[in-house]
Amino acid sequence: MITLRAVTKTYKKGERGEVTALGNVSLEVAKSEFVFIVGPSGSGKSTLMKLFTREERADEGEIYVAGRNLNTIRSWKVPALRREIGYVFQDFKLLQNKTIWENVAFALEVIGQSSSQIDKRVPDVLELVDLSDKAEAVPSELSGGQQQRVSIARAVVNKPKLLLCDEPTGNLDPSTSIGIMKLLDRINRTGATVVMATHDQHIVDSMRKRVIELETGSVVRDQSRGVYGYAG
Amino acid sequence: MSARTRYVFQEALIGLRRNLLMTVSVVLAVVVSMALFGGSFLMTKQVERLSSLFIGQIDTLIYLCDGRQCPEITEEQRLALEEELLNEPYVVSADYVDKQAAYERFVELFENQPELVDTVVPEALPASYDVKLSDPNQFELVLSKYSDWPGVEQVFDQREIVDQIQSVGSVFQVGSLVIAIVQLVAAGVLVTMTIQVTAFARRDQTAIMKLVGASNWYIGLPFMLEGVIACLFGALLAWGVLGVLVPIGTGLVSDQIPWVPFVGGRDILRAGPLLILIATGVALVSSTIALYRHADV
Repeated sequence: MITLRAVTKTYKKGERGEVTALGNVSLEVAKSEFVFIVGPSGSGKSTLMKLFTREERADEGEIYVAGRNLNTIRSWKVPALRREIGYVFQDFKLLQNKTIWENVAFALEVIGQSSSQIDKRVPDVLELVDLSDKAEAVPSELSGGQQQRVSIARAVVNKPKLLLCDEPTGNLDPSTSIGIMKLLDRINRTGATVVMATHDQHIVDSMRKRVIELETGSVVRDQSRGVYGYAG
Repeated sequence: MSARTRYVFQEALIGLRRNLLMTVSVVLAVVVSMALFGGSFLMTKQVERLSSLFIGQIDTLIYLCDGRQCPEITEEQRLALEEELLNEPYVVSADYVDKQAAYERFVELFENQPELVDTVVPEALPASYDVKLSDPNQFELVLSKYSDWPGVEQVFDQREIVDQIQSVGSVFQVGSLVIAIVQLVAAGVLVTMTIQVTAFARRDQTAIMKLVGASNWYIGLPFMLEGVIACLFGALLAWGVLGVLVPIGTGLVSDQIPWVPFVGGRDILRAGPLLILIATGVALVSSTIALYRHADV
């Protein structure tokens, strides 16, 4: 699903010259895998996520996502790539003036899905995230955990092959976080590849999925059934 | 209407309402600009009509006697005149316009002033020769030779009058065009600013649209539609303003100079599509610039 070969990404930082966000990173993520990306702030987690969606372009190396070479893909084909990727944010990014139904339906409307498809898929996905009874509520009427479920519903309503989660439990309490992780695990079991950047040690340790650790832009650990820090 | 189409129009209307003051500014700027453009266009038409009054392409008119100021020219005299004219080395053509043809030309020229047409009968207009000279400066030769020719009432040089009309008309045309262009640039800048404001207000939606894979043109469509709607409304208003003010203005002036063929409804109707085209073009260009240089869409 994802292949990185010797990828380097640098940013210009005014008078200080360049900062290397990712340096010579190589990794592979198979279909239907569940991968945690961990590391301290500034380690390159967010940059990695942005590279996957072509929000940023690598300066060196090769990136393949969902079979597409992101170095050579034409700009007008990027939207098609993104339709195969779901994205979950730490701050939910829901539209406050739309109902839950409308927030989820929005992801289908703007890519041209028919009304009949929208009317079929939105209830299905609200049921998946256990929010069928909240369809007419607006985000301000929901708890943080519920809002994150809506965000996940929007991310998966188009049945993406890849789900990217950037600190999805960052604003949630531990018990709510567990509920979100169970949902993501359930989605992963349906076949979607899940890549999640996180600081949440408890979640990583309890789920024992593959862990890729970044430090100052380099992969320092790649461990199947890993934990947040080095074991032992 | 599909959900997509509905979304585009809804968002465009929301944007227009959200930035109502800026929308009004855009509309006003476009109204002024398009009214000036339309005025310039109508001035061109007016100059054309006025020039036609003097049969613009023709250098020299030779009016023939019809019994009022001098004895009516006979057919023999007319043919002799025509032969003489055509034998002149500096005459390119000499076309005979009989009274009926002269009347028909008059009716067409003054179609917007029926009250004037009603007062004229075919017999009142003299027959003439429309003479085209190879060198307009030869007019003096024509004047000196044919002023006293049997059957000729008057030899008339139209060029000077037409030149004066056209130069006065040009001053007004160019003046109004310059002001119109300045206003149009202002309207374009206002459209760009409005879209920047809307893009900022809509940034969350735009970010989500980009991430879920909406195409760039679809993301930009509501913004462009906002600009087009505002400019189109301005152009239509300007068209209406011209439709009201021009007849009033020409009506007032025609009382003083009834012999001038003024622009009318048909010319104003022709101006409309031109104004709509220009206004829409400016809207599309301005919104495209705003979207791809400033609004990060």
